[in-house]
Formats: sequence, C-alpha cells, structure tokens
Amino acid sequence: MSEKNTSLAFDALVVGGGIAGGEAALNLATNGFKVLVVEKDLSVGGKMIHLSKVFPTLDCSACITTPKVSEISRHPLITIFTETEVKGIVKNGENDFDAKVVRKPRYVIAEDCTGCQLCEEACPVNVPDQYQYGLVGRKAAYIPFSIASPRVAAIDIENCTLCGACERACPTKCIDFTQKPVEYSVKVRTVVVATGFNLFDPVNIPRYGFGEYKNVITSMQMERQLAPTRPFHTILRPGDGKMPDKIAYVLCTGSRDASVGNPICSQICCMYSIKQAQLLMGALPMADITIYYINIRSFGKGFEEFYEQAKGMGVNFVKGKIGKITENAKGNLILRYEDINENILKEAEHDMVVLSVGVLPNTESEKLFVDKSLQLDEYNFVKQPEQLVSPAKTSIKGVFVAGTASGPMDIPDSILSAGSASSEAISYLNNK
Amino acid sequence: MNKIDPQFGIKLKKYGAVDFTACYNCGNCTAVCSLSTQDSSFPREMVRYGVMGMQEEISASLKPWECYYCGECSEHCPQTANPGELMQALRRWLTAKYDWTGLSGLLYKSLPLSIFAFLLLAAGVIGYGAYENFNLAKIMHYGHLFEMISIGAVFAIILLPNIFRMWNFTVLKPGSKAGIGIYFKAMGELFIHMFTQKRALGCDDNQFRWFEHFILVLGYLSLLFTTVVLDWFGTSNQIIIAIGYLFSAIVFLVTIDFVSGRIKRKKEISKYSQPSDWFFVIWLFLMGVTAFVVRLFIDLELIVDNSWIYYFHLIILVQWALIIVPFGKWTHFMYRSFAMYFARVKELAKK
Repeated sequence: MSEKNTSLAFDALVVGGGIAGGEAALNLATNGFKVLVVEKDLSVGGKMIHLSKVFPTLDCSACITTPKVSEISRHPLITIFTETEVKGIVKNGENDFDAKVVRKPRYVIAEDCTGCQLCEEACPVNVPDQYQYGLVGRKAAYIPFSIASPRVAAIDIENCTLCGACERACPTKCIDFTQKPVEYSVKVRTVVVATGFNLFDPVNIPRYGFGEYKNVITSMQMERQLAPTRPFHTILRPGDGKMPDKIAYVLCTGSRDASVGNPICSQICCMYSIKQAQLLMGALPMADITIYYINIRSFGKGFEEFYEQAKGMGVNFVKGKIGKITENAKGNLILRYEDINENILKEAEHDMVVLSVGVLPNTESEKLFVDKSLQLDEYNFVKQPEQLVSPAKTSIKGVFVAGTASGPMDIPDSILSAGSASSEAISYLNNK
Repeated sequence: MNKIDPQFGIKLKKYGAVDFTACYNCGNCTAVCSLSTQDSSFPREMVRYGVMGMQEEISASLKPWECYYCGECSEHCPQTANPGELMQALRRWLTAKYDWTGLSGLLYKSLPLSIFAFLLLAAGVIGYGAYENFNLAKIMHYGHLFEMISIGAVFAIILLPNIFRMWNFTVLKPGSKAGIGIYFKAMGELFIHMFTQKRALGCDDNQFRWFEHFILVLGYLSLLFTTVVLDWFGTSNQIIIAIGYLFSAIVFLVTIDFVSGRIKRKKEISKYSQPSDWFFVIWLFLMGVTAFVVRLFIDLELIVDNSWIYYFHLIILVQWALIIVPFGKWTHFMYRSFAMYFARVKELAKK
C-alpha cells in the first residue's frame, strides 16, 4: 500500500455513494469536474440498490440503480473509495477544502479479485447477512451482494477466524491479511453531503416484540424478500418457514412518534407499504394484506392513484395505530388497536407482521467538518438555511446537501435534490 | 345534534388537562390501555370529546371513572398529548358537574379560593375555641359530636344528591332502562369496588400500588369508625386504643409514600399534581398523624398542657370534613365505585 500516493486533489468531494451521491457525482463529472466519491460501505448504491420495486411505477429498483451505478463506476472523472470514511474536512477559504479520509482494509486486493466466490465456499464462518437484513447467513469471506459495485470479495475481520481457508482457495491470490487502514489527504474545491438516512430500529418499541417474536419483521426485510436478488424464492415467515397468508403492516413504526424521539413523518412508509402490499398480492395471490395506518399520506405524483389501485386490488386498510403485539402458540401475532372508524378496541390475528419502519437522520454528517460548522436542523438532518430559495445550500458556503441527508424524501425527490446540489456546486466551482 | 365548543378545552385546562389538543387521533392510547375493552374503549374517545367540547357525551359517560391512571397511554402517546392526565381532569370536571352546589368546580379552578376556604374554617375553629374559653374537655366533646353530625349532614345534603345527579346523567338521561331487580342484582359490584378497588389491579405492574391504596382505604375507614363510633379519644378500652393507634399509623405511613411519589414525579400517575391532589394526600397524612399524637398525648397525660395539638387536629378534621370530603378529591372513593355499579346496571339492562 505504501507505494500509493496519499495526497490527492479533486474538484468535488461527494460524501456518500447512494442514489443521491451517485447522481450528484455523475452530474459534476459530465460537466468536466473531477470527483471523489467516498462511501463507507463495501458497495455503492446506498439503500436503493437493495429495494425490490419503486413506487408508484413499480419499476424494478435494481434495474434503475445498477446501470446508474456502473455509469458512475466507469466514468473517467469519477474516483470511488468504498469502505472509506471521512475523518474531517477543514475549509481554508473559498474553493479550498482539506479532507482527511481513511480507507479501511478490505483484506482483498480489489484489482485482482475476479468475484469467483471460491473464498466464500471455503470460509467456515457463518454470520447473519447484513445485506439481506439478517434473513439469511453469509460467510466471513464474502461478496457483499450479487449486484454490488465493486463486485469484489471482502473479509469480515471481526468474525474471521484467520484459518486461511480463503487464502488457499483464492485462484488469483488476492487475499491479503496484511492490509492496513490508509489515510488520504484530499484537496477539493467543493463538497456535496449525501450521507443518507438510517432506518428506525424497532427494538426501541418493545411492545411490538421485534426481535422477540420471529414473525415480526421490518419493511426492509420484506423488501429483501420481494427483491429479484431475494434470499428465498418466495415469501416465508422467519419463525417456521411457512408461507404467510394473513400479513399486517404497522405504519408509523418509529415515525410521527414523539415517545421514541422522532415526531416527524418519514414520507415514504405509506407508499412503500402500499407498494409491498401490491407486490405481495402478486407473490401470494391467496394472502390477505391489511395495512394499519394513522393517515395515508399519498401526496406525490401518481401516489393517490397508486393507493386507490391497492384498495382496488383488495388490500385492506384499517385506520388505527397498533398499540401492542403479542404472540400465540402458533407463532401468529395478535395485534391490539382501536378501530378509529368504529370507536372500538379490537384484536386481530395475523401470521406475519411487517413493521413499516421510519427514517432517522444520519447524525454522522455533523462530524464531517472538524469544527462542527455544518449545522443540523431541529430533527438532526442537515440544515437548509435557504430551504425555499436554494435548498441545496448548507450553513457552509461551498458545501451542498443532496438527498435524505437533509430530511426524509423518496427516490425521485432524492434525485431531484442531487440535481440541485450538483448544479449549485457547479456554479460555485465556476465562480471562484 | 351537538355543537362543537372549542372553549371547553380551555376550561378543562383549569381542571389540570395538559396538551391534549395535540391528539392526532391514532388510538394508540386505547390500544395500549390495560383496562380498555371492546365494550368500553377509552381514552381516545374521551380525548376527542374533550377537544370537541362535547360536554353532554362526557357527562353521560362512565369511562373517566373506569380509568385508573395506569399511565401507559401517556407514556406511549406519540403526540405526548397526555391522555392519562386528560382523564384525570375529566374526573375533576365530572366531580364538579355532579355537585349541585357548584362549590367543587369553584374550588378546583381557584387555588386562592381553596386557601381562603381552608383559612376560613381554621379561623372558625379557633374562634369557637375562644368562645368556649378553650375549655378542652368541652371542645373535645363537641368535636366528637361534630364528627358524627358532619358525616350525616355531608352525606345527606351533598353526597347523596350528587350520587343521584350522577345516576341521572349517566344512566337515566342516556336512556338506559333498568328494572329495580337489576339494581339489586348489580349491588355486589358497588361494594366490591368500594372496598377492594380491584379494578386497579388491571394496570400492569400495579400490585404494590394497589396494595398500598387498599391498606390506606381500610385504614382510613377503620380509623373513622374507631374515632366516630368507638370514641377513640374518649374511651378507656385498651383494645380500642391500640387499634386506633394502628389505623392512624397506617394512614399517615402510607400517605407519606403517596406524597413523596408526587414530589418525585417518577410515575405517570404522580407526574402532574393539582392543588386538589396535594390537599387530599397531605390532609389525609395530617389527619392520621394528628389523631395519633392527640391520643398519644392523652395517654401520656400531656394533652392538658399541650391542648394546641388537639385544636390543630380539629382544624384539619373540620377542613377535611367540610371541604375535601364533600367538594374535593375524597369523592372519587364514591364515584368510582358507583361508576362500576352503574356500568354493571347498564350492561345488565342492555341484555
């Protein structure tokens, strides 16, 4: 590694390689600027690359993400650092930023890896697969997921037993346990913050029993079950592998809920739940799908029609927030709620429950700048001081925000936001 | 047809309701409530009525009394709209509504007026003492007489008519048709709830609190019986003297925990305290402790030189009997058990 030059210079630094960061990077590069994309994960593509289909068009999510991702990866003006974190950015003056980024070792020489997966076969360690949201296992030597970019193996050193089986199995001898973290000093002229969001962890609502009752899953786990690169080839409930036929959706799990510290609407849960319900009706034609909601917020283009379409397909919508979930001997779940339209407390039995988890801010974005001058709003998203006039501007001149780093939004809005951030960045670069 | 009355919410805030207008109508409170059932679902409906100002519906409902303030609704409310405290405020409002004199409402809404009433009665007792030249034996005799008369009078003039009004609002007006037989059949419910408060056991993890409250109620009623009927201060029967000590000690020891709970504000139920709540627990404590000390001074033959302790006890007693019992929080003892009784009557009448 020592032969690598650790001082680099780019026009723009894009923090985050999800759909917003990727779009912003692409716009900057096609306008002739040199871009560095820093992604903390092993692959670019963000959360979108893991989704099944997108609302309200029901287009295949991977089929939209992967061409975009490969375009970003192959662009001559874009450099991507995966498994890399920003340690601190300092603004010296206009068009003059110093960034320290640390690239963590993958323990695989990425250039030499062919993605043959022989190391995976050889590795004796099994751990839950974070890219399938814990539904299945993976090895400690693994390709993150089948459509990852780069599609290159990595060693999960925390769980690795250092047995050497992968080293012996690798035909190109690209596994290298001697790799160390490398710190780069990067000079850039503008920064785009596209750090995305976190999903709400429903263990914080113990009365829903997530983690305790196996047949209570998150919407992201259901998303994986519905995706083309899904872990099973049908929909199965995790408790006993039965195909469910009475599925409940619990909307506003961790959104619009001050008691768990997130009082705002996540803007996507209604629609992705309606989307999943429609997909489930295709995957499990005999299943009953019920969506328990407080209000259905179908406010975007084509959203209300999409909601009506779901109702027309027979998705059952019940107004009432789920208060408690209990499990019975069959592994089915009893949902307690008040039917608001009838004013009556009710209990309903379902054999699988999907918690439509909400959007939380990625608070890491505050730490990007060493002096913490990147301000956050009251909900810990990146503050937009000129939200109406120039939504991409942040509290620092020359630093722009793209996508869900600035607040909950859906995919089209994230891409629009990335377009706005990149054009603001381009004008900033051109007006030195 | 009912009219919406937005002013009602402002009025309810004077009875201690907080933030309930933040409710966005999700029903989480009803769903997490341990006491809510399919036949009687609350508190969301009550929050709704409160926001809309539907007073007739509220006064016709027994649901506020079916709530025992477990606090889960407030703890898990996504809007921190505090449905538990709203129910508590509705109970205060209903207490005022049932009271034909209107004094309950005035005292609930105005702390200065409450303090004035307490001071007035204290002055009355001291004035009476002066009138009798602080003749302790005579005053103690009339003090005992006062206890007996006030119980009868408060019951006949205030409590009984108010129970009747409650029955009118909640059973008669809503059109429940129950024969006399049903009233007899449901009678058990009244006494069970009056003496055991067993419904409070329905709150999760509430066994200890229920036990404390249960002991307190028994201690209080027994102390009342011992002082009024058995003339604890006048008797020379050793057994009566001993049980009197026991009952008064129970009253003040348990109330210490209740008062400290309200100071610490750790549980939902004790987070918000209105003056009426403070008066109730503190006066109950003072009743227990002063009765205990008076009897102790009698036994140690210190009472003649320290007659002030008896006057202090008498002031507390008079304030308790003439303010807190008829117009204050004491009435929950009665309304809660009658509510369970009337609910049973209505249920039987439906069948």
